[in-house]
Amino acid sequence: MFRVSTKQRAARWLACTMLAGCAEASAQQAGAPPPPDSTQSFVTCPVYRDTDMGRKSGCWLADDSATATRYDVTWAPIKPQVGKPLLVEGVVTSEADTCGGVVLKPVRVSVLPGSCARSIVPPESFPGRPSPPPGEVLKPASEPRTLPPPPYEKREFQIYFEFGRDFLIYQHAEVVLEKIQLYVQASQARSVLVQGFSASDLVIRSGRFLTEPIAVAKARASVVALALHRLGVPDGVVTTEWHGSPSTTDLEGGKLPESSKRRVTITVTP
Amino acid sequence: MSARTWIGVLAIVVVACTGDPPPPVVQAVTLAAVDDARYWAPDEGRTFPARLDYANDAGVLTTLNLAGPTETKGHAFFTPLGNNSRACITCHQPADGMGLSAATANAVWQVRGASDPLFEAIDGSNCPDLPQADAASHSLLLRHGLIRIERPWPPIAADGSRVEPEFTIDVVRDPTRCNRDPSFVSVYRRPRPAANLKYATAIGFAFDPKNGMPLQTDPVTGKPGSGNLLADVRALSLEGQAIDALITHLQLHGQPDPQQLREIVDFENQLYTAQSSHEGAGNLNEAGAQGGPEFLSQAAAGVLQSSANPIWSEFFPWKMLQPPAAGTTDPGFELRQSVARGAALFSTKQFLVSDSAGLTDTGFGNPVRNSCAFCHNMHRVGLDVAPGQVDLGTTNQPFASLPVSRTTAELPLFRLTCARDAAPHPHLGRIVYTSDPGYALTTGRCIDIGKITAQSLRGLAGRAPYFANGAARTLREVIDFYDRRYSIELTDQEKTDLTHLLEVL
Repeated sequence: MFRVSTKQRAARWLACTMLAGCAEASAQQAGAPPPPDSTQSFVTCPVYRDTDMGRKSGCWLADDSATATRYDVTWAPIKPQVGKPLLVEGVVTSEADTCGGVVLKPVRVSVLPGSCARSIVPPESFPGRPSPPPGEVLKPASEPRTLPPPPYEKREFQIYFEFGRDFLIYQHAEVVLEKIQLYVQASQARSVLVQGFSASDLVIRSGRFLTEPIAVAKARASVVALALHRLGVPDGVVTTEWHGSPSTTDLEGGKLPESSKRRVTITVTP
Repeated sequence: MSARTWIGVLAIVVVACTGDPPPPVVQAVTLAAVDDARYWAPDEGRTFPARLDYANDAGVLTTLNLAGPTETKGHAFFTPLGNNSRACITCHQPADGMGLSAATANAVWQVRGASDPLFEAIDGSNCPDLPQADAASHSLLLRHGLIRIERPWPPIAADGSRVEPEFTIDVVRDPTRCNRDPSFVSVYRRPRPAANLKYATAIGFAFDPKNGMPLQTDPVTGKPGSGNLLADVRALSLEGQAIDALITHLQLHGQPDPQQLREIVDFENQLYTAQSSHEGAGNLNEAGAQGGPEFLSQAAAGVLQSSANPIWSEFFPWKMLQPPAAGTTDPGFELRQSVARGAALFSTKQFLVSDSAGLTDTGFGNPVRNSCAFCHNMHRVGLDVAPGQVDLGTTNQPFASLPVSRTTAELPLFRLTCARDAAPHPHLGRIVYTSDPGYALTTGRCIDIGKITAQSLRGLAGRAPYFANGAARTLREVIDFYDRRYSIELTDQEKTDLTHLLEVL
């Protein structure tokens, strides 16, 4: 179990501050084009461009003030909220600019507490793009489920979260949760270990200090355990733990390391 | 009951038959017949037929009783089971789509005054300790069709456990004078229809994206609840709802008899209600359309609409009607075309949905481009498959003060203050002014303040006024509210088409 004292946390914060943004992700110079395949991470106020390419369309833009670059974060699986600060982590692609920004893909965003300017801009000359369909969606309850076939071995599942939150994200978490429930049922699992993680190590993004308290890891583990309970996974096989300073995972091929720390890992042992 | 005091009722026919096509024309009858047929009082001993047709301003509303004629003498739905003279039927009237219209409340008051069970002091008046013979003491029911709902504070969960709330409640003003005991919160809401319930209880998906959790299990039945019953989801099943209603509205002491409970739920489950004809568009199941309660009773429940399979497509065939011959007019043609346009607009007229907790804070983005069908997405009824707890601004300030919100000044106003360690309301912050905290009265969470469960859109023409707090007097006012709330900028023609659509549901 991770434990960190207030004194240790203060020392870490001070060290980072004195190193003048040691954990800032981008070394890009202002005005220079962002290098392809580079990972960009910053905090900003999102801008909504009101393009119309059907339901749930519309472009989400995020300006990195450090490099004076406007990014298109529309591919994020969850979307920003105007008037609320946004943490962005994404990879620069060469995809065509249809929204008015350098496209980040893959990309994850987190809505942060606080407030900032509400920015909604017209389409101008940008067509936008249709809302990207989720990779996998939950089937209607009326459709029969198929249990996964053997062999049944120890298996890990990952559920990812926004920064600082324990909310299970629609069109991601529910699909994973159902897979877990079906695997537990099919394998007659003896153990389901639910490990909540929080990105407790301090990072600085756009001058903002970001660290998740350990309580968030506990809340994430608890909410996943409750979700499994509601899906019928027997309470007796479920164990919860929570930790800080997690390792990274292969989220999006390992391209989004910081985002991958904000997760719950569920290990099913038949 | 006197025959001559009913207001606005011109024609009615009661037909006890099943399986036959609906009558083509509403039959004019005398006011005396209207009086006897229209209002169902408890313990009357009438037979509830297989089909009931009642006139309203838009045409005829029909309720089907799929089990066939039902004797009501001694039937639990029609019998006062508690310590007052109320029965379920009191607030769930067939002429009002198994709900209750303000017009019916007025008509009953004109005839019987406070002696009718509808006006029981417990919740048929603004507050029990007001002078009950005075109409002013029942103003919210008479003017807006509102019943008092008294919720415990702090909340008690469906399984009986105590909920630790994230916010405190202060009463800013209270014209009802009924919020003096801090262990209860009195809010005022419209009764919901006790019909078409296979839709309200349908589970489309096992996961509730608004709560970010799988659906809850109902402690009464042990089965997952749809989350689409009651404005604040204080019950998760029809059984749970009936128990709550018997204890609160009928003042039953103790638990209801299981057999009576079963009888109530079985009866509710066999009722389908919908507008069956429109005064301008005629019968709603003609010329390819599939309006009316028959189709409603046969269709699958819990089906999510989509671009490929849009909601209200049962009225799309009216787009293809041949126009009347040159030099002639056909009002029916015009109305049917208008309904078809409204049906299409419902899912295609896009606008920016903004600052609506339950939608715009759950990953869709704020704002998010969508249509009326974003929330009203369940085929045939317009419930929310998800389920539908959303803060549209009907009870929370500042949107509840929009010009069409007619109840604002007559309802209590609460100031809710969220604890510092709680997640605040996503769009209104830590201090929220509201006339009804809605779902938050069940969960105790700040993020749920003002969330009200979306309602079925069937039988609307029979049960004005609208919204959970009766804030819209007419269907046009419902459209106007949304137009202002989301800056949709509907044209007059679009408003008319949408209103016609709502009238034929």
